[in-house]
Amino acid sequence: MMKEKRTLQRNRAQAATARFGLGMLTPTMIVLIVMTAYPLISTFFYSFTDYNYLKGTDKASFVMLDNYTSLFQNGYFQQAVINTVVFTILAVVLEMVFGLAMAVFVNSLKKGQKIMRTLLLLPYLLPAVTVALSWRMMLSANYGIINQFLEGLGLPVFNWFMDTKTAFGTILVIDVWQNVPFVFLLLYASLQSVSESQYEAARIDGAGFLQQFVYVTLPNIKGSLALCALLRTIDTFRLFEKVNVLTGGGPAGTTSTITQFLYTYGIKSLDFGFGSAGAIVMTVLVLILSSFYIKRAMS
Amino acid sequence: MKKKILSGILLAAMALSLCACGSTEETAAEDEGTEETADADTSADASGEPTKMTLILRGGAYGESLEASLAPFEEEHNVDIEVMLMSFDDLHTGIALDAVNAEGTYDLCMVDGSWMAEFTENGVLANLSEMGYSFDDDIIPATTEICMVGEDIYLAPYYGNVTVMMYNKQLLEAAGYAPEDIDSFADIQDIAQKTREADASKNGFLIRGGSADNILSDFLPHLVVHGGWVVDENNQPTVDTPEFKAAMEDYLALYNVGGTLDKDDIVASVTAGETAMAQIWPGWYTPTADGPADYRTIPTKLTDDSEAVDAVALQGVWCIGIPNNAPHKDLALELLEYIMSPEVCTASIANNGVPCRYSSLLDEEILKDYPHLEQVCGALETGVYRPVIAEWTEFTNILGTEMDNVIQGTKTMDEALSYAQEQLEQLMAG
Repeated sequence: MMKEKRTLQRNRAQAATARFGLGMLTPTMIVLIVMTAYPLISTFFYSFTDYNYLKGTDKASFVMLDNYTSLFQNGYFQQAVINTVVFTILAVVLEMVFGLAMAVFVNSLKKGQKIMRTLLLLPYLLPAVTVALSWRMMLSANYGIINQFLEGLGLPVFNWFMDTKTAFGTILVIDVWQNVPFVFLLLYASLQSVSESQYEAARIDGAGFLQQFVYVTLPNIKGSLALCALLRTIDTFRLFEKVNVLTGGGPAGTTSTITQFLYTYGIKSLDFGFGSAGAIVMTVLVLILSSFYIKRAMS
Repeated sequence: MKKKILSGILLAAMALSLCACGSTEETAAEDEGTEETADADTSADASGEPTKMTLILRGGAYGESLEASLAPFEEEHNVDIEVMLMSFDDLHTGIALDAVNAEGTYDLCMVDGSWMAEFTENGVLANLSEMGYSFDDDIIPATTEICMVGEDIYLAPYYGNVTVMMYNKQLLEAAGYAPEDIDSFADIQDIAQKTREADASKNGFLIRGGSADNILSDFLPHLVVHGGWVVDENNQPTVDTPEFKAAMEDYLALYNVGGTLDKDDIVASVTAGETAMAQIWPGWYTPTADGPADYRTIPTKLTDDSEAVDAVALQGVWCIGIPNNAPHKDLALELLEYIMSPEVCTASIANNGVPCRYSSLLDEEILKDYPHLEQVCGALETGVYRPVIAEWTEFTNILGTEMDNVIQGTKTMDEALSYAQEQLEQLMAG
């Protein structure tokens, strides 16, 4: 009898805990369903239609895989995919290298860490459009300070954003300049948690700066490095504002990215069916890129 | 117990949020009632609160000149007007996104002629003729062509935007030309070549870069003077043609003695004496008598000996219209009539406006201060419009990108134009 009573009490307690858990989860689930699941399902659905925003959904009809076929056959899309992948690889590698170097440097400072930290973070605090416009002014072929400086030194000047030789690299530099502080901040926080005793032990064993870095620093922050690389990959893959403001994907499509392509051929022309197909392809590509980290995190 | 209290609070918060969302509809319904009253009276509501109107306009001199003229209307009609100034693409998207709502946000919108077909086919704009609006004889007839579908008026031409040839006075003189001597495109080539020969650091001519639409718009007058066009009478693409290639060759010759820049840099370069000539829109630069640069109409002859074509300069008149779902349609019509009145049009010149009215552009008093407006008036009478096709946005994306490939040397002209022709044929075939 006592045993049954205890079991009943335990069951009630378990049910109450489950109800509480469900109650706590419900608001998040509602937000996720409304803000993430619904738009994703809608986009997936529209990607099989010829939905034009102005004509409305009433006049849209199913075109099966037509949008995907024309997307993959589209030369501009192929160029945009190549540009995006190359840009992402270069930007993430450069940001990781510079961010790590800055984090190690600032972490090693005995004085002035706070000031350095604040100063180095400034570019990341600026909105992307502000950054793009500032750089556009600085790199103007006529009145830009950078060309004037180069001219003063007797060096050749460039039409930075309108020349196929310089446009891609210029946007890359601007993006790296703005996002290095993000990598720096994450890695710097991670470096702060590395115990000084490990470095002391390494020094006693005769390890130099490079050996300490390879055998103590890197193993301690590898989780943060992976997270940083993942976040930067996802973010860089979606690069849009800078390209749109500075080059619009030109010259000759050399700076066109997937998002810029979708904006030009999907949003601007209000061809949301085609745009949705592009958005789905992009989501899949980002998922593939992030799957390595997600798999690791899940295991 | 604590868990129950917390759950209760969470549930209450959710319930309150849902109630708040639900009540919006009622408030909106109440607002609609107020607006209906406002529409009926075309004035403020009974409480004396000003009626709120929202205008979506093109940024720069186009929208700013209009914005500057609104104060007397606001005072007279007790309205509070909010103006949203947008970029070219954002304006198009902003109007389109709002068009599908049962009741829209905007009372008045600024529309580029190239969107006309897309907007009228999809019922975005109100029929102004049905609302009682008509053009008077003072408005330059060529500027109204794009505003009508058959006999019905959908737009009113507000800002006389038509491409003109900007030149640097000093460099033009150095090349041995007076402004009135520029009779043909051969003269433009000659000035550009001479400028570069005299000083290798100077640009003879600048072409516009940036978006595909910029590239194509800048090129169209060169194509027209060569006897070509981008579509035939059945709106089928005609870009892989001898005329197009000849125009492109000449355009590249100009590019080779200059460069490609965006609008701000073009104006800065010509005014700074770094460039001899460039095609611009009047809204970019207002010449003054003692300024370093000025502009004149684009010549209509290919060479001095060839026959002149009727119209060469590209019309990019910024028109104003009323969205079909405008919240205060009647009041918006009054506002449109006010903006288009001769007095307001003439006054807008002081704010860098370029009206499409003879009385404003040819007013003797006005010409004393703004002599360039006579040239603009001439250009507005003879300009050509972009094709009125609903697919124009996609059309420019494809053709502009391929032209950019030719200019940048990433594709040969034959490759690029043949690819563009193929893609455009597919586009027009639906």
